[in-house]
Amino acid sequence: MTSQNNFDAIVIGAGIVGATTSLALTKAGLRVLVLDRGPVAGGTTGAGEGNILVSDKEPGPELELALMSRDLWFELGDDVGDSFELEAKGGVVVSRGDDTALRDFAKRQQSAGVNAQLVDGNELRKLEPHLAPGMNSGAFYPQDSQCQPMLAAAQILKRVRERGGIVKTGTMVTKFVIVSNRVKGVETSEGIFNAPTIVNAAGTWAGEISKLAGSFLPIAPRKGFILVTAPMPQIINHKVYDSDYVANVASGEADLQTSTVVEGTRSGTILIGASRERVGFDGSMNIDVLRRLAAQATSLFPILRDVQLLRAYRGFRPYAPDHLPVIGEDSLIAGLWHSAGHEGAGIGLAPGSARLLTEQITGRSSFMDASPFSPRRFQGGSA
Amino acid sequence: MKRPEKSLAFTFNGVRIEAIEGQTIAAALLASEINVLRKTRLKNEPRSIFCGIGICWDCVVTVNGVTNQRSCLIEVVEGMVVSS
Amino acid sequence: MIAIVGAGPAGLSAAVAAAKLGQQVILIDSSPRLGGQYWRHLPSNWGVGRPPYFAKAQELFDEVLSNPLITRFSNAHVWQAEKKAEQFNLYVVRNGVEEIVKAEKVILATGAYDRALPFPGWDLPGVMTAGAAQSMLKSHGVLVGKKFVIAGTGPFLLPVATGLAAAGAEVVGLYEANNPLRWILNLHGLILNPSKIREGIYFLKKLRSLGIKVHYGKEIQSAVSDGVLVDGKKIECDTVAIGSGFVPELSLAGILGAKLKVGADGTVVVDVDQNQQTSIPGLYAAGESTGIGGSSLAVLEGEIAGSTRKGKRLARWRAQVFATGLQRVYPVSNKWQSALTPQTILCRCEEVSLADIHGAIDELGAQDGRSAKLFTRAGMGLCQGRVCGRNVSEIVACHLSRDLTAEERINTAQRPLAAPISLGELGDGLEKNF
Ligand SMILES: Cc1cc2nc3c(=O)[nH]c(=O)nc-3n(C[C@H](O)[C@H](O)[C@H](O)COP(=O)(O)OP(=O)(O)OC[C@H]3O[C@@H](n4cnc5c(N)ncnc54)[C@H](O)[C@@H]3O)c2cc1C
Ligand SMILES: Cc1cc2nc3c(=O)[nH]c(=O)nc-3n(C[C@H](O)[C@H](O)[C@H](O)COP(=O)(O)OP(=O)(O)OC[C@H]3O[C@@H](n4cnc5c(N)ncnc54)[C@H](O)[C@@H]3O)c2cc1C
Repeated sequence: MTSQNNFDAIVIGAGIVGATTSLALTKAGLRVLVLDRGPVAGGTTGAGEGNILVSDKEPGPELELALMSRDLWFELGDDVGDSFELEAKGGVVVSRGDDTALRDFAKRQQSAGVNAQLVDGNELRKLEPHLAPGMNSGAFYPQDSQCQPMLAAAQILKRVRERGGIVKTGTMVTKFVIVSNRVKGVETSEGIFNAPTIVNAAGTWAGEISKLAGSFLPIAPRKGFILVTAPMPQIINHKVYDSDYVANVASGEADLQTSTVVEGTRSGTILIGASRERVGFDGSMNIDVLRRLAAQATSLFPILRDVQLLRAYRGFRPYAPDHLPVIGEDSLIAGLWHSAGHEGAGIGLAPGSARLLTEQITGRSSFMDASPFSPRRFQGGSA
Repeated sequence: MKRPEKSLAFTFNGVRIEAIEGQTIAAALLASEINVLRKTRLKNEPRSIFCGIGICWDCVVTVNGVTNQRSCLIEVVEGMVVSS
Repeated sequence: MIAIVGAGPAGLSAAVAAAKLGQQVILIDSSPRLGGQYWRHLPSNWGVGRPPYFAKAQELFDEVLSNPLITRFSNAHVWQAEKKAEQFNLYVVRNGVEEIVKAEKVILATGAYDRALPFPGWDLPGVMTAGAAQSMLKSHGVLVGKKFVIAGTGPFLLPVATGLAAAGAEVVGLYEANNPLRWILNLHGLILNPSKIREGIYFLKKLRSLGIKVHYGKEIQSAVSDGVLVDGKKIECDTVAIGSGFVPELSLAGILGAKLKVGADGTVVVDVDQNQQTSIPGLYAAGESTGIGGSSLAVLEGEIAGSTRKGKRLARWRAQVFATGLQRVYPVSNKWQSALTPQTILCRCEEVSLADIHGAIDELGAQDGRSAKLFTRAGMGLCQGRVCGRNVSEIVACHLSRDLTAEERINTAQRPLAAPISLGELGDGLEKNF
């Protein structure tokens, strides 16, 4: 076995989670190999949006992670250079009827450290002049941001290579090399690679990777559609969504949910997302879902009625039964670490998750209590 | 070729253009020797028709306030307001 | 009920064949007039003479317009389709309003559009596809320039060149990248189709009488505002009409899940059986969407798809042998890529250059057309990669010194929406109980 096949850590997955994790590990001084069966960002990272949100999260561990992660995104922006359309655009949540829930939610977030500003109808219209009439209350979240996630993953991995890491695309992990319940390496379509530390950042396919290693993770797909319009001059300034979006995000029901987030992008197209369905990996087009998204977007912004829909695409969010990501060491196989199951927030949570995992792998103290994310919650054993 | 009368008129960027009934916006503009239909979004380069059959979207204009309309497909209607 | 999408030669003959068997037909086409891409014509009040193919076209037009079993939907774009419980639902935006067409049998006759290969200056006004120059003339009586250069490959350039010259344009040269002497190696294609030999001779005579010089084995290197460069020499002209074969329009076939396949020349087409049926029962395809073979083959395929009659199979076979000959005599090799400079725009919509694509491969790890698109936006614009998709994926493969896989080629031919729809119309569909 040649030394060029030996690494300090192997990261499986070149999506946003694998990319940020490998950069954090590289910066911690490890020699890292990143493997992906497809190209960079060919999984869910290439099939979602790039919202970096704090506004949609209940106070709790995920919000704590999101707040750290959001700041780390801007550090990454400085490190990698502004090459992935990172922008602190701000989010606007509007309420159509009784705004008690929206106000309560914003107040609880404020006490958890979120910058949430309650606004009235006039202020709303100053933020978004094209909003439909009749929306008289809302909240403004200046911390909400966005990036172009495919470019972000690619630029971050470019930085990893510049710092000595290796990125191998088109390389499928087929088997683990395990000796007395400890990982030694992986077998792939391109040969065997060895490392004492292996990170499972395979997103929606993280359950399969765990199985390959003889362990278990309950990660399942949750389908989502996004509408893309023809490019136009900027008419929408922030990411704008309905207050019932948050209820949807947190829900575990299988049947279809749609609640719209409307946002303009730097390229001029407007993105309208997203639906949530648990239908396995069924990729077929659901015309009704597209209609619901369009109807909700045009009811927020009537000016969008004449805008042409160009494309709709879909992706499969990786989700765990309790809707929290899985970040930490496997409880059955030593040396196997997971960072997966980020559901609809993997872009936003990626740099924070990378830092949290790297701190655990290198034995440093963590910036937050990592136990709510531990894989042990599904694998039996105590956190 | 015997040409029927130009019986319709519309405006393009404020200028009055005449057209024969049944002609598309692009055809009427090219017949009036207006070759540049728009400037590109990113590099401000001039564009004209390219595929002529609604595939390439190079010839898009704003018609009566609606953006991104393919001028090679839409027939002229009296009084239409068209702009780059 | 039979629904036919596309009213070109294939769709028209399918409609007539089906109606003759007493079936109800809906014939849907996005343009206001019948005829598709080739059977274009000026309205009768222009009083112009009819082209030679017109007899067949007129016969089908008359039948379609007079047969009460045939309903016409014009200005109607099928944007989406699905098959539910043995029935097809086609979602059609007609004159801006969405409606549904339900049918037990669907025939896709969606045709093809010119393939345009990029070169420096191909994005200047005055450079356009041969089809654009031809359709402006044939449907609108507009000569888009005074002094033309015609370039690319394939016999379809001949009617374009002669048509423009006959209408009064100066055609300073026709640059054909291939050499028709290659027909010698594909003689059976001609021998089985003597009408094609007659057509060829007709066009050669016509070129001579119109004074059009044909240069074989030559390609345009670049275009500037007042001319093109060929072999380092500038040829003055105000308009350049280009075409290197055709790209079949397969969006609906892909949306409905029909099996697509890659032809010998890399063109993606719908896979059909003897009856023109696709891999989806009840879904048929005819015309250029099943392979590029000219309007006479399209008419035969339409007739078979519309009637599932066996009588025309031999004639179709003969025309298919000719179509295969076309692929062999007029191939598009990767040579066109050598004309590109780093600044040449490949994706006209999003203005993505060759250098951008190379950067995505060399620096960001793009491995295929899809990842090159995600990193550069090539193919994400208004045309959704219809113009650049195939070219970009060939450039990526070439840069990585590999061949394109069939799967990659098929991916570039698929798109989730067959036509755009406004968000307002789309949302209103919720209340229409389709
Ligand atoms: C419609 C939609 C909208 C979304 N919007 C947002 C948003 O606005 N903001 C946000 O934060 N998040 C959003 N998300 C969620 C976000 O996209 C995901 O959480 C995130 O991309 C997950 O990243 P990942 O790196 O874990 O997974 P992926 O990007 O899927 O990466 C996993 C990689 O593992 C590779 N892999 C799998 N198996 C193997 C194997 N055996 N060998 C080698 N490699 C393998 C795959 O090829 C893949 O590239 C959205 C998702 C969807 C579907
Ligand atoms: C420049 C040029 C020159 C040519 N010269 C010759 C020649 O000399 N001899 C010859 O034999 N052939 C020639 N052809 C080829 C000729 O165009 C084809 O053989 C013929 O038109 C194919 O017929 P079709 O019915 O398959 O498709 P088409 O004629 O292309 O018709 C397809 C129709 O489907 C419609 N359509 C597509 N998608 C949708 C949708 N989603 N909803 C609604 N409608 C839709 C299109 O608008 C179009 O009207 C030429 C073509 C071109 C472009």
